Amino acid sequence: MSGFKRDWNGNAKKRDGPKPPPKKVVQNQYTPMFETLRDELDQHHDRRERIIKASRDITALSKKIIFALQRVRKIDKELPKNIQAEVDTRLADISKLLATIAPEIQGINRYRYARSLMCLEELVEALTFLHYLKTQTLITPEQLTPIMDDLVRKAITPPEDVPMTDVNEPAATSPEKPEEKEIPKVSLTQDDYLYGVFDLTGEMMRFATTSTALTGTMAGGGAPGDEEPRTIVEDMHELGSFFEMLPVGPGKRFQWEKKLEVTRQSVQKVERLGYDRTIRGSERPKGWIPDLSGGDQPEEE
Amino acid sequence: MPPMIDPSLFDQIKSKIEEDTTVRKELEQIVDELHQHVSFTQGLLSRIHSTPRSKYPTLLPQVESSIKSQVATVSKLSAFASQYPYYKYNQKWTRPLQDSLSTVLLYTWLSSPTHPLLTPSSLSTFYSVPLNLPPNHDAFHITTEEYLLALVSIIDDLSRLAMNSVTLGDTSLAVEISTFIKDLHAGFQVLNLKNDILRKRVDSIKYAVKKVEDVVYDLSLRGLIPPAAAGTGEAGEAAGEKKEE
Repeated sequence: MSGFKRDWNGNAKKRDGPKPPPKKVVQNQYTPMFETLRDELDQHHDRRERIIKASRDITALSKKIIFALQRVRKIDKELPKNIQAEVDTRLADISKLLATIAPEIQGINRYRYARSLMCLEELVEALTFLHYLKTQTLITPEQLTPIMDDLVRKAITPPEDVPMTDVNEPAATSPEKPEEKEIPKVSLTQDDYLYGVFDLTGEMMRFATTSTALTGTMAGGGAPGDEEPRTIVEDMHELGSFFEMLPVGPGKRFQWEKKLEVTRQSVQKVERLGYDRTIRGSERPKGWIPDLSGGDQPEEE
Repeated sequence: MPPMIDPSLFDQIKSKIEEDTTVRKELEQIVDELHQHVSFTQGLLSRIHSTPRSKYPTLLPQVESSIKSQVATVSKLSAFASQYPYYKYNQKWTRPLQDSLSTVLLYTWLSSPTHPLLTPSSLSTFYSVPLNLPPNHDAFHITTEEYLLALVSIIDDLSRLAMNSVTLGDTSLAVEISTFIKDLHAGFQVLNLKNDILRKRVDSIKYAVKKVEDVVYDLSLRGLIPPAAAGTGEAGEAAGEKKEE
């Protein structure tokens, strides 16, 4: 709004004549139509922008969960406390982010923004890895659905009205205020699941390598009573064959082949570990622990 | 201990991938059919560049009948595609559909001396498929982007026609086109565009504007602008304004 001219003395110059009307956008018979279209496009762009932002954060958080999980050394029902605590905080953050975008990706919009939702693949990777470390099994899509629903629900309904338990609190503020509203769900597509599991094989390979190097035993095994404890080598073989046998997903042939190739390499790395263990493992004296000083592996706490 | 992979998982995923493949194959067939009708219509419409307006009454009915086959295919596509998530497969048909929309837009524009422009909603009535849908309704429809992209492509076609109509001695058509394109250009400037395909295509409109302005300039320089521009008063006026821009 600095719209006046100065004369040669530097004083504001009087306008000759009335102020010209503000420059108008050309109006014609089509303007109203374009204005409607503009509003539609704006809505779409804004929504996409919000989704992309949340997605980027969810991806970063999922990656942090995976890094934390890579500090685990054995497959066990219970994660080490500090790692479980870290996973929980990250998941709580993810939960908040998911809840903000959940309403935007319902129905037709789920696939509309599928490409902006790559974070879900990463999240699946983290969740499948977490599940594997606890149970030594591959989580199914059916098992993932309630976990995803939970994540969204947690952030939408605040955790069980903690202040309400306060004795001094007047009972007037009823704890059950919102009538169980329809909670939007974040659904996973088959691609989210499959590509997440593809990446799981890479994490399993990394886990197998570190845990074998640091503990001298091949991860896996289950209960001590098991006659033939299954190791991660077998699990990798099974996952590898699983993907080899699946028909190539249409539409994403190139991406599929690339992921499959990486999976093949991971399988081979782990089977090499298994071989090394078998052939040289017995040569290691009892209680032998590899030298960790030069390793770039994070220290075990 | 439980197996690594749930035994039923493989079959479950395999059958879903197979279903996906089948859907895509069927879609490809329908889209191919649409593509053929659209190409034929586009071919017919390309004759406008060598057909004087007086001969339109023989040309346009042919266009109309071939548009009818397009509409029939689109409703087939709509019925089939509506069974699946719209945006999962819409990449498959969005281009041919845009082309189809632009033939219809161009046809209607040419078919009347008042040069009507079909709005998105009248276009959706024309095809009897819905327009943008609320998020809870997942079905086949015409999207805003598809409509706008179709518009850009008729602007291109019309700017070419402006030149050719002068060659055919129909200077008033050139003037009419000029008015129309400039109006649309102003309309497009109302939009807030992102760096995407739409933005790229819309950016090309200015060349069409320049092309028709040059034509009109040539005409006015030589005094060839028809007085009162054959009934469309504003067209003459637009040509008069031309020089000061």
